[in-house]
Amino acid sequence: MSVRPPSPAIETLLRDLGPSLHRGASPTFPPTRCPTGLPGIDRLLDGGFPRGRLSEIAGSACCGRTSLALALLARTTAAGEVVALVDGADAFDPPSAAAAGVDLARVLWVRTSEVLCALHSTEHLLAARGFALVLLDLAPGHQTPARIPSSAWSRLRRTAAGTDTALVVLGDRRLTDTFADLAIEMRGAKPRFQGTPTLLEGLDGKVQLVRNRLGPHDCAVAVRWQNASAA
Amino acid sequence: MRIACLLVSDLPLAAELRAHPELQGVPLAIASGAGSRAEILSISPEAARGGVRPFTTVVHGRAACAELCVRVASPALERAARDALLDAALSTSPRAETAPLSSGIYAAEAAVYIDARGITSLFHSEAGFAGALIARAEKLGLPAVAAIASSRGVAHIAARKCTGAPGATKVLPPGDDASFLAPLPIDLLNPEDELAESLTRFGIHRVRDLTRIPERALVTRLGGRARKLLNLARGEESAPPISTPSRTLFEESTDLDAPLSHLEPLLFVLRGMISRLVTRLECRALACGDLDLDLDLEGGQRDARRIGVASPTLDPLVLVRLAALSLESRPPPAPIESASLATTGSPLRSDQLDLFRPAGPTPAVLSQTLAELEALCGPGRIGAPVVSDSHRPDTYAMAAFVPNSGAGSLTRDGDARDGDAHAGLSHGSLAVRALRPPVPARVQASLGSPEWIRSALANGEVIRSAGPWRTTGGWWSREERFAFDHFDVQTSDGLVVRLRLDLITGCWQIDAVYD
Repeated sequence: MSVRPPSPAIETLLRDLGPSLHRGASPTFPPTRCPTGLPGIDRLLDGGFPRGRLSEIAGSACCGRTSLALALLARTTAAGEVVALVDGADAFDPPSAAAAGVDLARVLWVRTSEVLCALHSTEHLLAARGFALVLLDLAPGHQTPARIPSSAWSRLRRTAAGTDTALVVLGDRRLTDTFADLAIEMRGAKPRFQGTPTLLEGLDGKVQLVRNRLGPHDCAVAVRWQNASAA
Repeated sequence: MRIACLLVSDLPLAAELRAHPELQGVPLAIASGAGSRAEILSISPEAARGGVRPFTTVVHGRAACAELCVRVASPALERAARDALLDAALSTSPRAETAPLSSGIYAAEAAVYIDARGITSLFHSEAGFAGALIARAEKLGLPAVAAIASSRGVAHIAARKCTGAPGATKVLPPGDDASFLAPLPIDLLNPEDELAESLTRFGIHRVRDLTRIPERALVTRLGGRARKLLNLARGEESAPPISTPSRTLFEESTDLDAPLSHLEPLLFVLRGMISRLVTRLECRALACGDLDLDLDLEGGQRDARRIGVASPTLDPLVLVRLAALSLESRPPPAPIESASLATTGSPLRSDQLDLFRPAGPTPAVLSQTLAELEALCGPGRIGAPVVSDSHRPDTYAMAAFVPNSGAGSLTRDGDARDGDAHAGLSHGSLAVRALRPPVPARVQASLGSPEWIRSALANGEVIRSAGPWRTTGGWWSREERFAFDHFDVQTSDGLVVRLRLDLITGCWQIDAVYD
C-alpha cells in the first residue's frame, strides 16, 4: 500500500507548531518549580526548586542559607500556597520571616528538637499532600547534630516523588549525599558594617549549584542579603 | 393536629443489639444484674424459641437454653438508643420529642412523638412518612414501629398495637381515633394499678365501656386520674404542641464488662461508639467536630479529655485515629470501667475552591496530620507562627493553622522583589536564626561595647559591632519587665550574631545568629 504524501495544510500546521511538537515518543514535561523570587538564583536553578523532588541548601552559619530559605517561603506563600516548616533546630524567627515577606498564616510551623522526630514529621507532611513546599531545617544551633541514616533520605525522596511538594533540606553541610536531585552550597559570606552610626547593612555571599540531576551544575551567582532593620 | 409515634417495644434488647450487632440471631437475654439469680428482663426471638421466658431467673433461662447469651442491662446503652430514636425522628421533622417513660408492662418501651402536620408535601402520604420513620430508625440500629393519629396518646396506643410485626405501620385517618379505641382493652391505655383494679371491679374492660360513663360520675368515684384516662379514651389531648428540641449534644456511652487496661481493646470499643455516633450525625446532616471523651477509671478516678478535630468530618477512621493518638500521648492512669463520647455536631464544611488560588491539603487529612504531628512533637508545638504585639524582640506566638484563612496577596509569576539592575547580583532580605534558649556568653566590654566573647557558639575578638539598641518594656509587672541592650557583632571566628546585655540581671547572651 503506497503512503499518501501529507497535505499542504498539514505541512503548514506542522511548520507553525515548530519545536513544541513531538513525534512518536511520549512527551516529558519538566517538573514544576518553586521559585525563590530572586531572579539570579531562579535562573541558576532553572526556575526554582523542583516539586516532587528532594533538594538541599547547605552552608555554615552566617552564610545566608536561612535568608534564602525565607525568600523561598515568601515567594511560595505570596503565590497563595501553603508551606510547612519542620524546624529541627527551633530557630525560626517569626518577625524576621514577616520582614522577609512570608505570609505567616500560610506557614505550618512544626517545632521539634529531635532529628528523628523531624524526619517523621516531614514524612507525615509529604503524605498529607497539598503543601507546595516542605522545608526541613536541620541546621543546628550550638548543639552537635545527630547522624542521619541514608535510608531516611531514600524514604523521604520516595515519599516526595509523585507529590506536588518540593522538599528542601537546610543543613550546615551536605546531609543527603546522592539522594538530593538538586543541591546548592552557600559560600563566602562577608558582613557589611557601614554608616554612621555603624549598622550591619547585610551579608554578601555566593550561591553555588553543586548538584543538579535535572540540568547543568557547577554554576554560581553572587547574592546580597540586606538587613531590613538597617534600611 | 397529626402526631406520629415511633416506638421501640423492647429498648434494653434493642440497645444491646445496636451496640453489639454480632449478637443478632443468637439466643440473647438481658438480665437485671450479674449473677445467676438475676431476673431476665428481655429476650430475643431466638431465646423465646429456645424456651426462655422473661421475668424468670438466669439459671432458669440457661436450663431452658444451653446456648443462651446473657448480658446485663446497660443504662448507658439504653440512653444512647433513646437519643438515637429521637435523632431518627428529627431527621424527618424539626419538631419531635421523647415520650415520657412508661411503667408497668410497657416499662421496656421507648417512643418519640413527631409533629406530622404538612408531612405529605415531602413524603406523599402519611403511610410513606411512617415507613420513612421506620427506615431511619433501622439505619440507626433500632427496630421500630410507627403509627399516626390525631393525638399523642392515640398514636402511642396504635403503635403498641403494631408491635407484633416488626416494621409495621398504622395510620388512623382524622376523626377515626375514637372508633379505633372503642373495642380495645382498657389495659392498652396503661392506667395506674389502683385505677385499673377499680375499673375491673366496676366491670369496665373495654374503652367503649369507659367512654359511656358520664365524666362527672367517673371523676367523683375515681378521682382526677380518671379524667385523664377518659380524655385519652376519647382521643382528646390537652398537651402543648410539640416544639423543636434545643438539645444539640450527641452522646454515646458504654459500660464495659471488665476494666480495660490496654489500648487496643479500648480502641475497639471506641470504634463502635464512634461509628454509631457518626451514623446519628449523618442522619441529622451534621458532622463530628471536637469530641469529648470521658473515661471512668478504676478507683473512682475520671479521665476527661477533648480530642480536637480541625475540620468537622464524618469519616470514622479519622476520628478513631485522633482518639488513638490522644490516648497514646496521654494514657489513662488506671484501667477503664466505662467510656462516653460526646460532640455537639457541626455543619459539614464545604470548602469553596478558589479559581485563582491553589488548593491546600484536604481538611480531613489535615486534621489527622496535625493530630499526628502533635502526638510526635508534643502539645503547643504545631501551628501557624504569629508576630506578637510586643516590643520584646524574642517573643513569638502560635495560632491554629487554618490554611485558607489568610487573605494574602497574589503575585504574578513575572513579579520579582529584586530590582537591582547589576547583572549577576541577587538581592534578598537578611534573616536571623533565633536561639532558644539564648546562649549565655562571657563578654569583655570596654566603654559599654563588647570586645571579646566566649560562649558555646561564638568565640574570639569582636571585629565589628553595631549598637547598642536599647529595648525596654513591661515595666508595670515584675514578671514581664525587660530591658536589653542589643549589639550586632562580627567575631573573629567568622560569625555574625546578635548579642544582648540584660540590664536587669547584668548577663550577656547571644539570642540570634544572622544567616
